Amino acid sequence: MSLDDTISTHSEGHDHGHHEAPEVVDSRERFGVWLFIAGDMVTLGAIWFTYLYMRGTNTDGHWMSMLGYQGHSYAWYENALNSSAGLPAATTIHVGPMSAGLIWLVALVVAVSAGIIWWAEKLLRESKNAKAFSNIALLGTVVVLLAVILSIVQLRHIPSIFVANNDSQVMAYTGYSSAMMMIIGVSMVHFIILAFLGLGLAIRSARGAITGEKWFQARLVRIFWVWVAISTLVTTLLTVMVNKL
Amino acid sequence: MSTSTIEKTVHKGNASGGGLARRQNFLTGLVGGIIFAWLFWWIARLVGDQSSRSFSDLTATSVTLGWLFGFWLGIGALNGPFRWLIGRDQTREDQLYYAGENLGVSRYWKFTTDHKVVGVQYIVMTMVLLGAGGILAMAIRTNLITPGNHFVNQQVYNSFISMHGMLMILGMIVAVAGPWANFVVPIMVGARDMAFPRLNALSLWTLVAAAALLLTTLAVGGLPVGWVILAPITNQAGVGMDFFAMAIVVFTVSTTVAGVNTLATVVKMRTKGMTFTRLPIFVWGSIIAAALGLYAFPYFLLAEVLQLMDRNFQTSFYVASGGGTGWLQANLFWMMGHPEVYVILLPAVGAIFEIAAVMSRKPVFSYKTAVGGMVALAGLSILVWAHHMFTTGWAPTLGGPFMLTTELISIPTGIFFLVLIATMWRGNVWFRLPTLWVYGFIFDFVIGGVTGIYLSDIPIDNQFHGTMFVTAHFHYVFAGSVLFGAVAALAFWYPKVTGRFLNETMGRISFGLTFIGIQVTFISMFLSGLKGMPRRYSSYSMLFEHTNFITTIGGYTIMAGMLVLLAAVITSWKHGEASGPNPWHANSLEWMVPTPVPLENFDVLPVITEDPYNFAEKVDH
Repeated sequence: MSLDDTISTHSEGHDHGHHEAPEVVDSRERFGVWLFIAGDMVTLGAIWFTYLYMRGTNTDGHWMSMLGYQGHSYAWYENALNSSAGLPAATTIHVGPMSAGLIWLVALVVAVSAGIIWWAEKLLRESKNAKAFSNIALLGTVVVLLAVILSIVQLRHIPSIFVANNDSQVMAYTGYSSAMMMIIGVSMVHFIILAFLGLGLAIRSARGAITGEKWFQARLVRIFWVWVAISTLVTTLLTVMVNKL
Repeated sequence: MSTSTIEKTVHKGNASGGGLARRQNFLTGLVGGIIFAWLFWWIARLVGDQSSRSFSDLTATSVTLGWLFGFWLGIGALNGPFRWLIGRDQTREDQLYYAGENLGVSRYWKFTTDHKVVGVQYIVMTMVLLGAGGILAMAIRTNLITPGNHFVNQQVYNSFISMHGMLMILGMIVAVAGPWANFVVPIMVGARDMAFPRLNALSLWTLVAAAALLLTTLAVGGLPVGWVILAPITNQAGVGMDFFAMAIVVFTVSTTVAGVNTLATVVKMRTKGMTFTRLPIFVWGSIIAAALGLYAFPYFLLAEVLQLMDRNFQTSFYVASGGGTGWLQANLFWMMGHPEVYVILLPAVGAIFEIAAVMSRKPVFSYKTAVGGMVALAGLSILVWAHHMFTTGWAPTLGGPFMLTTELISIPTGIFFLVLIATMWRGNVWFRLPTLWVYGFIFDFVIGGVTGIYLSDIPIDNQFHGTMFVTAHFHYVFAGSVLFGAVAALAFWYPKVTGRFLNETMGRISFGLTFIGIQVTFISMFLSGLKGMPRRYSSYSMLFEHTNFITTIGGYTIMAGMLVLLAAVITSWKHGEASGPNPWHANSLEWMVPTPVPLENFDVLPVITEDPYNFAEKVDH
């Protein structure tokens, strides 16, 4: 290989100053999105591993129970500490699984939002109607924001147990509750990213950056959105089916 | 290329592009990070429950989040996403400004997207990380020079051990892949830049943010729990643990982004005729490591997220009283931990193959076997993690299978030696500085590899686990092999970065000191381990006195070698012997472009007609 016989006038350029065909840029960006999804898949696998490992190990039978105090508060703790008897002995408190209905509802909402975005993209590519796309993308964003709100509701209802000793008190979480907090938290981060992307699609299409001819970014977002919806559904199936021992 | 064209700095800057980025640089990043760290600290104290046992952890974690957000905001990392959101894409002038056109030296302090600038920034970051880790190594060895020496107290010593380990690991991860997968890989494949230039800059500056968090750990109580940060002992650590865990979370974001970028660049941006079998072998090392990193680092990310949740939100992932288990952390850590060894090693192996072929004027021996060996090594590495847990009692029935998979690793590793030696065998070897470090790599990697086979054997591991033998083994792999690969790559591609050779005399002195230092340090450390000296102890029995004294002297010798190398890098940058664009008479594309390499590498993209190792041209050395 020498300079003379390897360099020729191959004019396919890249980025800063050189023009690149939109299809070339799209192909590269789509590959990048799939690579990020691959990384996300490994993370999801690690999350499933964590959930199943904790459930399977069930250390000291504490997957859904823990030594603590039922329904007590900081004020109760202070009073107990100041009393002559001191803190009573902790008892094993059991927590039940979280509402399967709410878990499924979140998954359903995300699936619906993915369907909306898919529909919006299809409409854009077929009817070239950027204004309609903008409105429908905004609708998808609102729906996924609903999933964010529902996730916050879920986080507030994760069963916790009042744990205390002579030095401190805290609301602590069993293995099951911990795993659910992780899953809901990670899902919520994904939903927030989707909301950002959806809002971006809506604004960009309203400003003419996404049109019936320039629809590649809509497809990129849709690919990631559908992946998040599928992973949410599968994780929901796992956590609802596999929670009791 | 005339030497007079080397690094002429023009300060007039791009005429109209850049927007807000014109006012953003490392300093504004630093200021933004500090302001937002303080702001988040203030909010955490305002809304947090001060009677809660996790209050200090919540405050510390908030500070780390504030730092990251503020640093990203200040350096300009969030400009792109924000502009995308509001539909104001960058103009061509903006892109040229971000690429550092006509910005002179200041482009190295900015969120610059040009892959060559990012490569140089990675060289500096590697030196910072390895330098900081090296200073801690000297403190550790000074403490161990005699039994009962108290150069630092035991808690500080423990923190130094942890921080030395993690700084060196992070430094090694980026030592070859960071500078060279950025600087030369896009040119090698015939591309004008990385696939995602902004993500490239993001990965670099996110690494800077992570390094700052990691180093701050020492100032906020340290990390006296060992570098593998095994639970539940981590529960006893102070807020330094929160800083450390967040540093790892941020670091995994950086490596994931970098890995995606490298893979997309090579898969999607190869020029016409650059088939996969015509790729320079270093490119293979880089992309296999990138793919492996994409698999491995999510485990580390999750392990540290769970750590943060246990500390901040009273979850029970690693707490037995709540249904968790320390083995979960051990599994997640080592599922990352062993593939990570090859994320570190493979780019170095690729660079060594590349240099050996060019300096021997011969093709890489059995190119496809070499690539197959790298793929096999990466594949096997994800099936061996439990050999780190042989003595913990976790899943004893799986010991046999994991021993087998670990021993199988020696087959692709053996292939590397075969390829390397056969490449150089009867070659017209050009005995310059990069070649010297290649020889050092071969020698040290034999010792590191062979001692690893012993440790894969359960009965032997039961004896050696937790001893200095293990420490010596993996230091032969990292310090003896990867570091030598990294310096070989530096000496080889330095002329392409600067237009000048790395000072040969200083480089040879550095090699001599480092090579001898490695043998003195780690052979005596093997002997300490064989006699039963445990790892991580701040003091030891008189039985180990002589070998530890020798190890410390060897450690100082390595440091002296590295300081000479640092001096060579600095002095050669401006005053080294001019090299011209292709000093090694190599055939791969990075040597076909002028030095300094122009902004977009190629005026017209090349078409490749043959592989880069056809050395028909006679070269008089």
